[in-house]
Amino acid sequence: MKIVSVGFVDEEQDPDVRFVRGAGRYVDDIKLEGMQHLYVVRSPYARARVLSVSGGITGNELKATMESVGEDAGGRSTVSFPVLSASYVSYVGQPVAAVLGGDKYEAADKADEVDVQYEPLKPVMDPERSLESEPIHPGTESNLVAAAELGRDFDLKAPVEVEETLRMERIAPNPMETKGMVASYDGSVLTVYASTQSPFSWREGLAGSLGLKEESVRVVQMDTGGGFGSKGGIYPEYVVAAYAAMKTKRPVKWTESRYENLLATNMGRGVRGRMKVYADRKGKLKGLKADLLVDVGAYPLGGGAWTAKWIASQLVGPYAVPKAYAAAKAVLTNKVNMGPYRGAGRPEAAFFMERMMDRIADETGIDAAEVRLRNATTRETTSPLGMEAPPSKRFFTEALRAFRYSSRKKKDKVGLSFFMLIPAAYGGESAKLAVEGGRVKVWMGGSSHGQRHDVFAKKLVSEELGVPQDVIDFQHTDTGAISGGVGSWGSRTAILGGGALVEASRNLKAAAKKNLGKKYSPALLLEGDYEAEAFFKPKDMLNTLGANLATARLTKEGNAVVEEVLSFYDAGKVLNRFMLESQVTGGVAQGIGEVMYEHAVYSEDGQLLTASIADAGVIHATEMPKSVVMTAAHRSTLPHGAKGVGESPTIGVPPAATRALEVLLGRRFTTLPIEPEKLWAHDLPGRERTR
Amino acid sequence: MSQTHHVVVEVNGVKREADVEPRLLLVHFLRENLGLTGTHIGCDTTNCGACTVLLDGKAVKSCTVLTVQADGRKVTTIEGLGGDGKLDRVQEGFVAKHGLQCGFCTPGMVISAYALLQEKPHPTEEEIKTAISGNICRCTGYESIIESVKYAAKAGRRRKSPGRPSGRRS
Repeated sequence: MKIVSVGFVDEEQDPDVRFVRGAGRYVDDIKLEGMQHLYVVRSPYARARVLSVSGGITGNELKATMESVGEDAGGRSTVSFPVLSASYVSYVGQPVAAVLGGDKYEAADKADEVDVQYEPLKPVMDPERSLESEPIHPGTESNLVAAAELGRDFDLKAPVEVEETLRMERIAPNPMETKGMVASYDGSVLTVYASTQSPFSWREGLAGSLGLKEESVRVVQMDTGGGFGSKGGIYPEYVVAAYAAMKTKRPVKWTESRYENLLATNMGRGVRGRMKVYADRKGKLKGLKADLLVDVGAYPLGGGAWTAKWIASQLVGPYAVPKAYAAAKAVLTNKVNMGPYRGAGRPEAAFFMERMMDRIADETGIDAAEVRLRNATTRETTSPLGMEAPPSKRFFTEALRAFRYSSRKKKDKVGLSFFMLIPAAYGGESAKLAVEGGRVKVWMGGSSHGQRHDVFAKKLVSEELGVPQDVIDFQHTDTGAISGGVGSWGSRTAILGGGALVEASRNLKAAAKKNLGKKYSPALLLEGDYEAEAFFKPKDMLNTLGANLATARLTKEGNAVVEEVLSFYDAGKVLNRFMLESQVTGGVAQGIGEVMYEHAVYSEDGQLLTASIADAGVIHATEMPKSVVMTAAHRSTLPHGAKGVGESPTIGVPPAATRALEVLLGRRFTTLPIEPEKLWAHDLPGRERTR
Repeated sequence: MSQTHHVVVEVNGVKREADVEPRLLLVHFLRENLGLTGTHIGCDTTNCGACTVLLDGKAVKSCTVLTVQADGRKVTTIEGLGGDGKLDRVQEGFVAKHGLQCGFCTPGMVISAYALLQEKPHPTEEEIKTAISGNICRCTGYESIIESVKYAAKAGRRRKSPGRPSGRRS
């Protein structure tokens, strides 16, 4: 198959050079002949009956529901999520109608033509009261989405028993580019240009919702301005825009404002953990009990069906504990859906466990690092909650040495975290190579939305084929170019996409050798026309370990801030140190944001109070601590030796930074974000202001 | 359409004329009317800085300027930095130090950094942080951006140039 390039992005140019010149090509930069702009009319109520809706495209015309796909996929829910609701609405910002205009201004003006009559109802906002409240979806029996019990319940008396209720509040992913797409229909194929982490999820979801065959949908990834989990699956707006393009036979662009992004994009976290740990006087864990509650928002399609169990399964982390039992529930509220946000369940598990390790240290008077080491493992284990973990003791000893922990602890207010990263290895990943005109084109089934996957892709392909990197062109994912794929999330692309690239390169080389025989050389390879694909599925466990150390200090104004974050992660064989450091430091910023500021706050009547990017709490340059990135290079069993790393900082930084602030202020913190008003030192009499 | 106003705006050294609605934001004029899509829109509350351009040499957020307010004035966008196919030293710095990931905040960051170096060719780290604190980056954690600006400042010192671009910027 010859691939017809859609030609928006100059793939031969270094992405950094394109971006600094303003020559990136994002969805909103596309202009097609006759293109119209779609504006979505949204519910102003968190819960209401829709008495009538008229004008524009409504749910009376487009009777479609959302199909759960992508990173969200987790079994069909009994509650259907309408693309445009014509009967009732379940969160502020839920789409109810859409209008088209020649430009953004005209489209927004046209919204006046839509008339919606609502009968507001009292929304369910507090997840703790969700189960005793009226079901938010008519015809259902309760607001319970999922309940899981892991491990076996037990009775135990131990010298040290500590209980704590911990929370990680909801936060907005806030990629700098909001969501958007352009759809174009030629009468047989719907082509969609997407800001996405997974064109294949879009293809499946759009085809499913619109009743199309997957072959008649082509999804092309554009330069994508960040995702952090929020652009993995699909949203109602995508289906409406695709439908509008098919209906009008004209291209349709939909891009959202930041306000819309905050109202109507899946949010992360929103989990409460009631933890109890049992230990002996030497700090050795004897048992762990957990009761988790996950707020999945209005429709359980953002991962609601599996998140509770997924978090519970990870609670033991990298430690050994003889007994563990976790009960986990996911419940509905009248908020936008919960969805994956960098880490997606892993940070919650690590925060809950690491806070308890610090509590054990406080209760026993044993150093926090020592408590952790005493519970680390010397061989591969499967926890009572069912999670496999690599041996952790050696790695943590290395980490403490790398941190120079003993001397840092004497000098600074430090917090420490140990954790395990479970990459989203399920489903594998694909890669394709095509040699044509002396150049090698490379695709993966899921690709970069900021990670510069092209750098490791070129390196791996060049090493395998023996061709120079400058003849290799890395392409964004295009479902018209590669036969299958998964997506880029869950610390997976460097390990799975990388593995697929190595396999595809070997397949390509084999095809060329078959043709060229003993004459084979990289130069002759480039003279030919060859294609090869590979779908790579790892056989071994790829769970890896990480550790963070954070220090905190008081500013001269008396505010507690995180001063420095040290990261020590087992990333396997490092494919590119520069890019790894960039990823980790970016994740550190997100971890600090989560600890200090980021929180999606709703009013009792369901309005989002943090409805601007400033209110959402994303950190600025002036709030960033120093970041030091180190790695332990214990090769994985994959052909290229890599391990996942992308989510490590959002897992490890929150517990370490929280502890550092706790040590500094002498106040216990159980909920993230801590929020600046709790980080003032003013009410600590006798404490000396630094500087 | 409501009443339009005739505007003449010098953009990257070229006089551009148009009849625009009074409500048209400068960022939309640049992106939609002139096709200068390097200037991005990341928020709607003047917080993120992705739309930063120079207006008469001063960094402004073009989502909070009406096109009619730019009438008779000079605008420099990311496309106007550098010249003759060459990158400006600030752009070079962002490439050398990989002061970006997804690239979306990059044009605004580069413009803010450029404006800083015009005013203070040798900024301290704190001055750099303050200068870019009106620009949000969700990817990098800012360290590589700060390094990029330092690199550009050093490059300016090496060249002993006041740092004005060689291109068409007036």
